[in-house]
Amino acid sequence: MTAPLLELRNVTKRFGATTALDDVSITVHQHEVVGLIGENGAGKSTLLKMLAGLHRPDGGQVLLSGDPVDLGSPARAARLGIGVVHQEQSLLPNLRVAENLLLGHEGDALRAGFFRRKRLEAAAAEALATVESKVSPASLTEDLTFAERQMVEVARAVASRRPGRPPLVVLDEPTSVLEAEDVAVLKRQVMALREVGSVIFVSHRLDEVLDFSDRVYVLRDGKVVGERTSQDATEADLFRMMIGRDSSAGFYDEGRQRPADPDAVPVLSVKDLSRRGQYSGVSFDIRPGEVLGLVGVIGSGREQVSRAIFGAEPHDEGSIVLDGQPLRLRTPAAAVRSGIAYVPAERRVEGMVGGATVAENIALVHPGRGPVVLPARRRVVAQEWAERLDIRPRDTAADMARLSGGNQQKAALARWVLADDLRLLILDHPTRGLDIGAKEDLYKLFRDLCERGIGILLLADTLDEAIGMSHSVIVMKDGQVTARFENTAVDGKPQPIQLLEKMM
Amino acid sequence: MSTVATTSTPTREPISSSKPATPRTARPWRQLLPLGILVALVLAVSLAEPAFLRTNSLTVVANQAIPILLLGLGQMFVVLVGGIDLSSAALASLTTVLVATWLPGMGGAALVLTLVALTVVGLITGALVAWGQVPSFVISLGALGFWGAVSLVVSGSTTIYVSQGYGSISWLTNMGIAGVSSAIILSVALVAVIWAVMRYTPRGNVFHVVGLNERAALMAGVRARWVKTAAFGLSGLFAGLAGIVLTAQQQSGAPQLGDALLLPAIAAAVVGGCAITGGIGGPWRVLVGALVVTVLRVGGAVAGIDPNYQQIIYGAVVILAVALTIDRTRLSIIK
Amino acid sequence: MSATPVHDVATLEQQSTVSRPKNNRRLLLSAGPAVALVVLAVAFAVLTPGFATVNNARAIVEQASIPLVLAMGSTLVVLLGSVDLSVEGVMAACGLTFVLLASNNRNDNDLGWLAFVIAIGVGAVFGVVNGLIHTRIRVPSFMVTLGTWFIGLGMATVLFGTTTPQLQDQTFRAWAGGRWLGVPVVIVFAALVTVGAFVVCRYSKLGRYTYAIGGDEAVSRVAGIPVNRFKVIVFCLAGALSGLGGVLATIRLGVGDVSVGSGQLFLTLSAVVLGGTLLSGGRGGPLHTLVGVLILVVLGNGLLLSGANPYVQQAAQGLVIVIAVIATGWPVRDRLRVVK
Repeated sequence: MTAPLLELRNVTKRFGATTALDDVSITVHQHEVVGLIGENGAGKSTLLKMLAGLHRPDGGQVLLSGDPVDLGSPARAARLGIGVVHQEQSLLPNLRVAENLLLGHEGDALRAGFFRRKRLEAAAAEALATVESKVSPASLTEDLTFAERQMVEVARAVASRRPGRPPLVVLDEPTSVLEAEDVAVLKRQVMALREVGSVIFVSHRLDEVLDFSDRVYVLRDGKVVGERTSQDATEADLFRMMIGRDSSAGFYDEGRQRPADPDAVPVLSVKDLSRRGQYSGVSFDIRPGEVLGLVGVIGSGREQVSRAIFGAEPHDEGSIVLDGQPLRLRTPAAAVRSGIAYVPAERRVEGMVGGATVAENIALVHPGRGPVVLPARRRVVAQEWAERLDIRPRDTAADMARLSGGNQQKAALARWVLADDLRLLILDHPTRGLDIGAKEDLYKLFRDLCERGIGILLLADTLDEAIGMSHSVIVMKDGQVTARFENTAVDGKPQPIQLLEKMM
Repeated sequence: MSTVATTSTPTREPISSSKPATPRTARPWRQLLPLGILVALVLAVSLAEPAFLRTNSLTVVANQAIPILLLGLGQMFVVLVGGIDLSSAALASLTTVLVATWLPGMGGAALVLTLVALTVVGLITGALVAWGQVPSFVISLGALGFWGAVSLVVSGSTTIYVSQGYGSISWLTNMGIAGVSSAIILSVALVAVIWAVMRYTPRGNVFHVVGLNERAALMAGVRARWVKTAAFGLSGLFAGLAGIVLTAQQQSGAPQLGDALLLPAIAAAVVGGCAITGGIGGPWRVLVGALVVTVLRVGGAVAGIDPNYQQIIYGAVVILAVALTIDRTRLSIIK
Repeated sequence: MSATPVHDVATLEQQSTVSRPKNNRRLLLSAGPAVALVVLAVAFAVLTPGFATVNNARAIVEQASIPLVLAMGSTLVVLLGSVDLSVEGVMAACGLTFVLLASNNRNDNDLGWLAFVIAIGVGAVFGVVNGLIHTRIRVPSFMVTLGTWFIGLGMATVLFGTTTPQLQDQTFRAWAGGRWLGVPVVIVFAALVTVGAFVVCRYSKLGRYTYAIGGDEAVSRVAGIPVNRFKVIVFCLAGALSGLGGVLATIRLGVGDVSVGSGQLFLTLSAVVLGGTLLSGGRGGPLHTLVGVLILVVLGNGLLLSGANPYVQQAAQGLVIVIAVIATGWPVRDRLRVVK
C-alpha cells in the first residue's frame, strides 16, 4: 500500500498561552474525501492555515506522500499540491478567469514577456475540465456567480501544483452560501477531484459532511476527539463528539440568573427586521435584566442583525424600539447616544484604540463633562474601573495594545458600563480567545449589569456559553429565525444538540 | 508632545517587540530627536558663521518660521487624523489676495471675514474627504487647483500692494516686545493653547484617537467623519492665519505668494515627529519642526549654500522624515 | 498579513449583494467618460462657432499630445494603486538636462540624439528612485513623489542658473512645427506611446501583473508575483514618460524652463481619474485615459473659444478631479469604511 497523501503526526500549535492545536494526528489517503468538523474555536481554522502555509507548527510533523515537508509559505504549499479554498475568495475580480487560474505560473503561455492568449486559455480550460466546470476561461472573474468562482478556485488549487504531485484540495465551508443545485454540482466536482487526488472537506453542515466524505474527523478544543467512517456515523454521533463534556454547571454564575419581569417594557424590541440577501423577519424582545442569546453559524445573519441594531449597518425593513421609543439609527454615534453599547468581535480592529493609553480607551465613549478634564481626574476614573474589573496591570497610562486579550476586553467594556444611562449591551463574541479566568470575570460582570436592569444581546462564542448565560435563546439559520427557547430559567435550558439541529 | 502625560513612565524600547503596537509615550527619541537636530543645526550654522547667533539673525529666523509654523499646525490636525492637505499653502496665497483686496474697504473686518471664509473652504474639503470616502491627497490636490485658480481670478494674476488699511495688520510685524514681533508671540501662544486644549478638554484627544484607529473610534460612537472634517476646517483656518501674517510681512498679496510653503509646512509637521500614518504628533513638535526647516533654509544661505538647492533639500528632508516617522506596523500594504 | 482569511462579517455581505452594483459601476466607468466626451463636443460644436472645424480638431489633438504621453505613465502607476505626483518636477529636470546637453547658447555641448536619450534616462532614474524608496523603504507613493516633485524642480532651478538656455539644435527645433509623414511630430510620439501603453496593458506580463497587483496586492504576492520588482519597473516607465513629455514640451518652447510642466500634474491625474481608472488600482487603462485627456482638452479648448478666463480652465480641472474621484468611488461607500 502506498504512503498516505497527507499525514499530520502529533502536530501542535500554540498562540501565546493558548494551545490551538494539541497533538493532532490526521491521515488523508489518496482518492479519499475526509471531513473535518468542530465547533468555533475547535482548531479547524488553525489547521487549515497551517496547511495553506500561513502558520508553522510548533511541534510534530507534516508528511506528504510519506516525505516530511515544510509548508513555509502559501506559494510553497501550492507547489507541493495543497490548495486551500477559503470561504473568503482570493481571486482577482478584475482579471480574466484564465489569468487568475495561472497567475504566477503561466509556463509556456508567456513568451518574451507577452501572453499567448490561446495557449493560456487552453491551459485554463484544461484545469477547469478537471473539476468539470463549464466556466469560460475568457470571462471576467467578477461576472461569475459565487459558485462559479468557487469552482475556479478549486481548479486553481489543482492547477498550481508542480506536475506529478497529486492534488490535495482543502474546501473550507464551501457550501455555506451555495444554493441546493450548486451543492449538487459541487458534489460532482468533488467526486471528480477524488479521481485525481484527495479532498479535505470542512463544513458546519453535518449532513453534507456525511454525504461528501469517506471519513470524518472531529476536533474539539484543539484535539482530535473522534474519527468515523461515514457509513458508520450518524449526525447525532457527530454532534455528541463535537459538544463533548456536559455543560459546565456553575461556570456561568447561573445562580444569579433572575427571571426577567415578563410585564416590564422591553429594553429592546425588534420587529420584522430585514435586509435583502442577508436576513428577514427577525423579531425579538429583550426585557430589563435579560440576556438574549442569538445563535447561528457563520452566514446565519446574526452578526448583521446585531450590527444593524447598533446602527453600524443599514437594514431595509422592520423596526427597532428602545424602551418604547422607536429608533432610526444611521450611525453608531446615534446608537451610543440612545444608550446602546456594542462590543465587537474583532477587538483589535474595531474594539480598541491601540497606541492610546488604557485610560484614554476607558474614557473614549464618555470623556467626562465640563470644559476641562484634568488628566489626573481621567486617570482616577480609569483607575477605579481598573480596580473594579481587575484590569492588569493597573497602570492606566500603559499602551492599550500591550495588555493581554482579557484585560483589553475588560477595558473595552469599562468604557460602556461606566455610563449610568446604558440600556442595551450587544456582545459579539465577548470571550473569544480569552482564558478561563478572564471569562469568569466577564460573566460576573454581565450578571452585575443585568441586576442594573440592562438588557444584553449575546452572540456567544460557544453553545455552552449561550445556554449558560442566556434567559432566552434564539436560533438563526440562513437569515431566518428557526427556533426560540424563551424563559429558560423557568422552563429549563435547551440542550446544545437541540440548538445545533436548528442551526445546521 | 503627546496628549496624555507621563512621558516619564520607564517603558522598555518596543522596537524589537513583535506586537503591532505603537506606544505614543514610549518612544522618547521620537520627541527628542527633532530637538537634537535643531540644536545640532544651530550649532553647525553658528560654527560656519558666528554672526548667526546674534539677535538680528535669530529674529529673521523666527519671523520666517511663523508662516511655516502656522501652516504646519494646520497640517498637523489633518496628519493626526491620517490624511494630508495639499491645498493649505494655496489657501494661504488665497488669503493674501483676499486680505489685500478687502483691507482698504473693510479694515479689520476683512481679517475676520477672510478667516471665516478660509475655515469654510477647509470644511468643504474635509466634508468631501470624509463623506465621499476618498483619499485626502486627491481631494486636496483638486482644491489646490481650484482655489489657486480662484486666487488668480480674484487678483487678476498680479501682486496687490497694501497701503490703505495696512494698519490693521502691520502690528503683527511692527509691534512687539523686546524686538520680538507680536506675530511670534501670538503664534507661540497659539501653540500653547492647542496643547492645553488637546490635553485638558474631554474630547481633546479626538484627532489622535481617530488617527490611531478610525474604525474603533466610529464603533465607540465618536463622530469620526465630523472629526476629519474639523481637521480640514482647522487646516483652512490656520492657512488663513498664515496668509494674514504673510500679507503683513510682505505688505502685499499675490496669487502664488504662499505656494512655495507647501513642502516646508509638511516638512515642519513630519520633521517634528508627526507620523503621516496618523495619531502621533502635537503642536510643540510642529514648533520644533518649523524651526528646523527654517534654520535649514536661513542657515543654508548664511553658510553660503546656493538657495537654488533649497527645494532639493526640502524634498529630500520630507521623504527622509516620513520614512523615519511612519508607523509601518499599521500599514500591511503601502500604496 | 492581509492574506490571512478572516471570517469576517463583511465577506458574506459582499458575496451576496455586490454583483449588481459592480456591473453598474463598470458600465459607469467604461461608457460614462466616452458619453461625456461626445456630449461635451456636441455642446461646444453647437454653442461655439469655430469649435467644429478641421483646424480646431487638429489643434485639439496637438494640445492633447503631451498630456497623453504623461498620462499613460500615470495610468500605469495608478493601475498599481499607487500615484506619481512627481510629473512636473521630472519634466522640468529632464527638459533642462536636454537643453543643456543638446546644442544650446549656454555651453558647447552638442550631443544631438544622445541628449534626447540621456534626458529620458534622467526621467527613468527619477522613476526608479521613486519606486525603490516606495517599495524598499516602504513610504507611501504620494509622499515619495511629492518629495521628488520638488527635488526635480530644485534640480531644474539649479540647472537653469541665471540665463535662459535656448535650444539651438536644428534637428530638434524643426520638430516644433514639423511633421513626419504628414503628421505633427508630437502627435506621432503621443500615438506611439498610447498604442504602446495599450499593448503593454492588454497583452504583456508587465501590464497584466500591474492589474493583478492593483486588484489585490496581497493575493498577487501569495501567487508568487515579485510585486516590488514590477512596481519599480512601472515607476521607471512613468518617470521615463514624464521625461519624454518634458523634452517634447521643451522643444515646443524652444528654451529651457523650470515651469515647463506647470499644470501638467493636474491635467494628467484628472484625466486618468476622469477616464475611469480607479485610484484604488486594478481597473481602467490607457483607453480610458485617452478619453479622459480628450475630455479635458476639449473642455479647455471650448472654454477658451467661448471667451472664458483661462484660469477658469484650471478651476474646472480642480473640480473635475474631485467630482470624478467621488463619483467613481460612490458605489463602495459604507458606514464604517475608512479611507485616509
